[in-house]
Amino acid sequence: MYKLFLTLRYLRRKWIAVFAMLSVWLCVAMVLIVFSVMDGFLENIKQHSRGLLSDIIVDVGTLQGFPYYDDFTKYMHEQLPDVVESVSPVIYNYAILRVKTGRAENITKPVRVVGIDLAGYASVNTFHDSLYYDKYYPGTTTFAPAPMPIAGLKLPPGTPEMPATTNAFADSAEYALPDPYPQAFARFKADHPDDPIVKNPKRPSVHSPDGVGYFENNFGQPGYEGKPLPGLIVGMDVIYSRKEDGEYERAMVRGEEIVLTMLPMTRKGTLAEDPVPLAMRLADESRTRVYQIDEICVYADFKLIQHMLSMDALQRVDGTMTKPRATQLLVRIRDGLDARVAKARIEKLWEEFCMGVFYDIPPQKYRALTDAERAQLRRGAREGWLTTVDPEDAILMSAVGVETWEDRQRGFIDAVEKEKVLVTILFLIISVVAVVLIGVIFHMIVMQKTRDIGIIKSLGATRWGVASIFLSYGAAVGIVGGILGVVCGSIFVYYINDIQDLLAHLNPNLRVWSPEVYTFDRIPNEVKPMAALVVFVAAVGTSMLGAAWPAIKAARVWPVQALRYE
Amino acid sequence: MSNVLLRAQDVHKTYLLGKVPLRVLRGVNVDVRAGELLAVTGASGCGKSTLLHILGALDLPDKGSVRYDGQDVFRMSAARRDGVRNREVGFVFQFYHLLPELNVLENVLMPQMVGMGVFAWSGRRRDARARAEDILTRVGLSERIFHRPNELSGGERQRVAIARAMMNEPRFLLADEPTGNLDAKMGQGILECLRSLNENGQTIVLVTHDPNIAAAADRRIQLVDGRIEA
Ligand SMILES: Nc1ncnc2c1ncn2[C@@H]1O[C@H](COP(=O)(O)OP(=O)(O)OP(=O)(O)O)[C@@H](O)[C@H]1O
Ligand SMILES: [Mg+2]
Repeated sequence: MYKLFLTLRYLRRKWIAVFAMLSVWLCVAMVLIVFSVMDGFLENIKQHSRGLLSDIIVDVGTLQGFPYYDDFTKYMHEQLPDVVESVSPVIYNYAILRVKTGRAENITKPVRVVGIDLAGYASVNTFHDSLYYDKYYPGTTTFAPAPMPIAGLKLPPGTPEMPATTNAFADSAEYALPDPYPQAFARFKADHPDDPIVKNPKRPSVHSPDGVGYFENNFGQPGYEGKPLPGLIVGMDVIYSRKEDGEYERAMVRGEEIVLTMLPMTRKGTLAEDPVPLAMRLADESRTRVYQIDEICVYADFKLIQHMLSMDALQRVDGTMTKPRATQLLVRIRDGLDARVAKARIEKLWEEFCMGVFYDIPPQKYRALTDAERAQLRRGAREGWLTTVDPEDAILMSAVGVETWEDRQRGFIDAVEKEKVLVTILFLIISVVAVVLIGVIFHMIVMQKTRDIGIIKSLGATRWGVASIFLSYGAAVGIVGGILGVVCGSIFVYYINDIQDLLAHLNPNLRVWSPEVYTFDRIPNEVKPMAALVVFVAAVGTSMLGAAWPAIKAARVWPVQALRYE
Repeated sequence: MSNVLLRAQDVHKTYLLGKVPLRVLRGVNVDVRAGELLAVTGASGCGKSTLLHILGALDLPDKGSVRYDGQDVFRMSAARRDGVRNREVGFVFQFYHLLPELNVLENVLMPQMVGMGVFAWSGRRRDARARAEDILTRVGLSERIFHRPNELSGGERQRVAIARAMMNEPRFLLADEPTGNLDAKMGQGILECLRSLNENGQTIVLVTHDPNIAAAADRRIQLVDGRIEA
């Protein structure tokens, strides 16, 4: 009985208990914050690496791309139905992007052009989730050529008379979305009350430099103006700059014109023709939240890019056609399959496929060859002395490699893994400091109470009884401090970006998380319940241990020895 | 002989002061009989407190035995010894040794609490409290039960310590100079308090260097050079 009684009494009477609780609280919060941010960072990297690439990448590594990618896609589906879920070809190249409208002033900058088949790309990775407009107007993002949408003066017959107050818009060629999506716009408004589009439903235009632009179509069917232009999805950081609060100063609207100038390339990698400027339409904006991607990538239709870069089938002088090329094949494998296993099988399949193309050797026969014979064949392809196929094609195809997303990001992931080890060590040191601190505080508490321990023992308390007083004391301190720490740490982590924004607002130098360095534009702000639980249990355990050790030591001596303690 | 409650035989205790051994007790033999008031006297620093601690099983002698009803307290298990301390010994320290965080009543109740689990305690609480108040009334502290030790005078603290020692109806009360820090009048009060307890049948061993108090005892023994001189 006295155990509980004394525990409560000590807790109530001793300021030092509050001190111990405070230190547990701070330690728990600190450890939880550090852990959550680091862990979130790692998770982000892995998830994004995989999400923005695909499970397996078949890549040639040069800008000319490689031929037979479509035949190989088909071949993969045929031969490895248990491995391959979906495949999508991609072309990478570089271009000059030029925007000259309204507030997005005169942007001219180099960009990385990614030619994708929108639907196919969505089936191999999570790119689609990064689209800005498509989230609010699902299904409206398309690469198909479309004129610039306007809600114009010519109202379709039967449109009710416009309310007088909105007549002002009718005077100046308004822009609207291609289709009416009132609900979608309502949702957009709810999510982005501060977006310029919502605050001022106008866009800059040649007609009125201050801008008119209208996104909700009040007038029935929208009209269109100008020549249909192919769509382009632009990385958010390419055209906009991030504001201090982490949002973007969005200066363009959907449908506006962007000019992309590309460099067509022969299979040898020489310039095929003069640079080709291509007027395009802003179809959507992509925010993958990986700064290195969002700052440079623009996405356009695969076929269009292939054509613009002269990578499609061209006629040779002898009348035969060249094979179209792509730079990469992105492969999504079946769920639950090990990427390494899949990679090995696709690699083997590619080799057999190539030999079939180069020498007309069926796979069974190729498999039966000795290693030396195979090496010979491969060398033949690399050096281009082949008969059945264009030597240029053979050279490019020999350069193709198969990688998993992890191989692909090896350098980056290795660096982060190292960082993780470093942080884990730091984390351990922090924990040790916390444990020592708690131990010292309890040692002080117990020392202060040594005389009391002597008294209680002289009254017949057992060793275990005395120890358990301080054990419950430690547990109480640990539980209260731990709960406070977990709660405060979680709140801090949850609002960590707002806290940073606030600090940056006070003094720009206080912005510690820069997207250029850490890849992601926001600090990870999730606390895993499991992590919180582990930290909490560790805190309670540490407190109890820290209290128990000196208490047991003190309780072991004879009562008189404890009593004589000064 | 049958009424010997406590028998200490050939008790030795040596303290080491640095390298120099200080042989405080060198073969002490004491018998304490039921119902007697035994006074132990001796010069300051001769080892009276040391002896009393050993008699109360609060300290370990280097050699020798202390038997309660024939049971050697230093040979029994720690758990049993704890029980013996709780139930059979009431110890009044020279320097009171009250728990500062607790008020007078709680200090007096402490031996009961130590001896009981939570459930037993919740059943016995009322009785225990009544008994504690009764004892406090007997030592003249009924007005002071909610005070904390640092709000009491030395004599009052000493009486709280006696009340606490009496709480579990111990077989013997060991009091180490209960009047040593008090003026003559206070000391007289304490003495009377002990006397009246003794008259009600309480066995008491009293350490003192005050001849007046020793004179009031049933029997006196003197500690000289680490031995008892009858
Ligand atoms: N833990 C210890 N370590 C070393 N010496 C000790 C220890 N405890 C007591 N002593 C010494 O043993 C001797 C006896 O001490 P004790 O307290 O028993 O004397 P005492 O007779 O009670 O004296 P007083 O009448 O002043 O209370 C003293 O000289 C003291 O210094
Ligand atoms: Mg003494």
